[in-house]
Amino acid sequence: MNKYYPAALAILIILLAAFPAIGPEVYYLSFMFSVFMYVILASSWNFIGGYAGYLSFGHAAFFGIGAFATAKMATVFQLPPLLTMLASIPAGGIAALIALIVGYPCLKIRGPYFSVVTLCFAFVVDLAVKNIEYLGGAEGLWMKFMDLPEKTARTIMYEAMLLLMVITLAASWFLGRSRFGTGLTAIRSDEEVAETMAVPTAMLKIKAFVLSAFFPGVAGGLFAYYLGYIHADAVFSINISILIVLMAMFGGGGTWLGPIIGAVILTVVNEGLSTFAQAEIARIIYGGLFIVVTIFMPNGIIDFFRKRGG
Amino acid sequence: MDSTENVILSGKKITKRFGGLTALSEVDFDVRRGEIVGLIGPNGSGKTTLFNVISGIYDPENGDLFFGNRKITSMSPHKRACLGIGRTFQIVRPLAGLNLIENVATGVLYGREKKTGAREARERALEILSFTGLSDRASKLPGELILEDRKRLEIARALALHPELLLLDEVFAGLNKTEIGAAIDLTFRIREEYGTTIFMIEHVMKAIMSTCSRIIVLNFGIKLTEGSPDEVANHPEVISAYLGGAYAKC
Repeated sequence: MNKYYPAALAILIILLAAFPAIGPEVYYLSFMFSVFMYVILASSWNFIGGYAGYLSFGHAAFFGIGAFATAKMATVFQLPPLLTMLASIPAGGIAALIALIVGYPCLKIRGPYFSVVTLCFAFVVDLAVKNIEYLGGAEGLWMKFMDLPEKTARTIMYEAMLLLMVITLAASWFLGRSRFGTGLTAIRSDEEVAETMAVPTAMLKIKAFVLSAFFPGVAGGLFAYYLGYIHADAVFSINISILIVLMAMFGGGGTWLGPIIGAVILTVVNEGLSTFAQAEIARIIYGGLFIVVTIFMPNGIIDFFRKRGG
Repeated sequence: MDSTENVILSGKKITKRFGGLTALSEVDFDVRRGEIVGLIGPNGSGKTTLFNVISGIYDPENGDLFFGNRKITSMSPHKRACLGIGRTFQIVRPLAGLNLIENVATGVLYGREKKTGAREARERALEILSFTGLSDRASKLPGELILEDRKRLEIARALALHPELLLLDEVFAGLNKTEIGAAIDLTFRIREEYGTTIFMIEHVMKAIMSTCSRIIVLNFGIKLTEGSPDEVANHPEVISAYLGGAYAKC
């Protein structure tokens, strides 16, 4: 690893933080907001899906749980704007707790059950939220927005999401280099062998899953507040779950940089598609892309180009 | 007979069934501290099954397993590994996506030594790799190694735990004469340097005869006999199990 790398990262973060100061259009702030959000989602998915190799196909559920928990707390406790943003942290905790409940039984066993359970779980949560009147039901929940000019409010949200992204990426960085990360990588490689090498596989998988649900939960809270109105379709969509997997795998699962690159590229693609194409067409394109990535670059685009480069 | 304190591993009436097939039937055995014990038997006699029961991959239907004074019958594999039971696999199973240092460092980080620092673990891993003669290939991936070196990596991976007991599952199989000589040498060096007790499954007679002080023979999941290499090699039932009844009479 190059010794200038940390310095370059620090400069990049400062530049990103200073970006609103040059007075960009609100559109660009919103766009960067969603780039940060997807980097958070893909990088946290990577804890369980990338390092441990346990593909969660329902990660949007945690994002949505965070969103709804925040919205509910904001309305029930009549929280002022700043506290609403902070409420996304306990909301992330709720997402993590639910991950523990869901993950505990299916991560104690090995194999593909986990992917199936997470996929079904996302559908169950979606249906439940739509049918529970307390959580807004079919109508959704409204939140009180900041009493500030739009640009100022957007800037605050931008900085909050940037901060969360930096924290998530720092966690991801340390995880990749820690004993915990080494254990997860061993699990992905051969779980039975990992066990015989004293790696407590079940425990590590559950921890990784809980951690991978926390950050999306917080991001969901910020997103809900950003929208000001939250509806199940906006956060529980299967498209989001698949997009998260696709971003991480496309960039390169099990690496620090992979999900970041994947999330940046595919958010741009997603933005283009949602402007110029219908949702159904977008879904077909994602499906196709997923197949291409799995077949031609199973280890992601970073690995693909690294090998090409010799 | 040694006192029971010297027994590092003992199995009492171990029975393991797969559906209607009894792979192990009431097998009793002891391994004493510092010994090199061989486990032999024809194909399908239950040798690897016994190793899987010892390392915790299979739960036996009946019987008890003790490591030192501790009952480990239903302990999970990683806890047994932590206590100091290391193993290799008959068909080598390195952690494929990780280089040799990372393979070994994983065991160092989680094993008996419980090193927590990444740098410390790497250093220890390098020592183990040089002990097993792999230091010049330390940053290669397991897939780039020849068979002999992959077998060495299996051993290095197990040694990373700093095990008190090492289960070697056919580490000599598929090696040529020179390589077998080197592996025999390595087996003795492991016992000397690490003070590790060794329990090994082996078909290569030369390796068994020159390393083991005692041999346990399994046939159809039943313990046929045990004894010194010479006793076992001349035991009529052993000859009969391997070559058929007609050869046993002479």
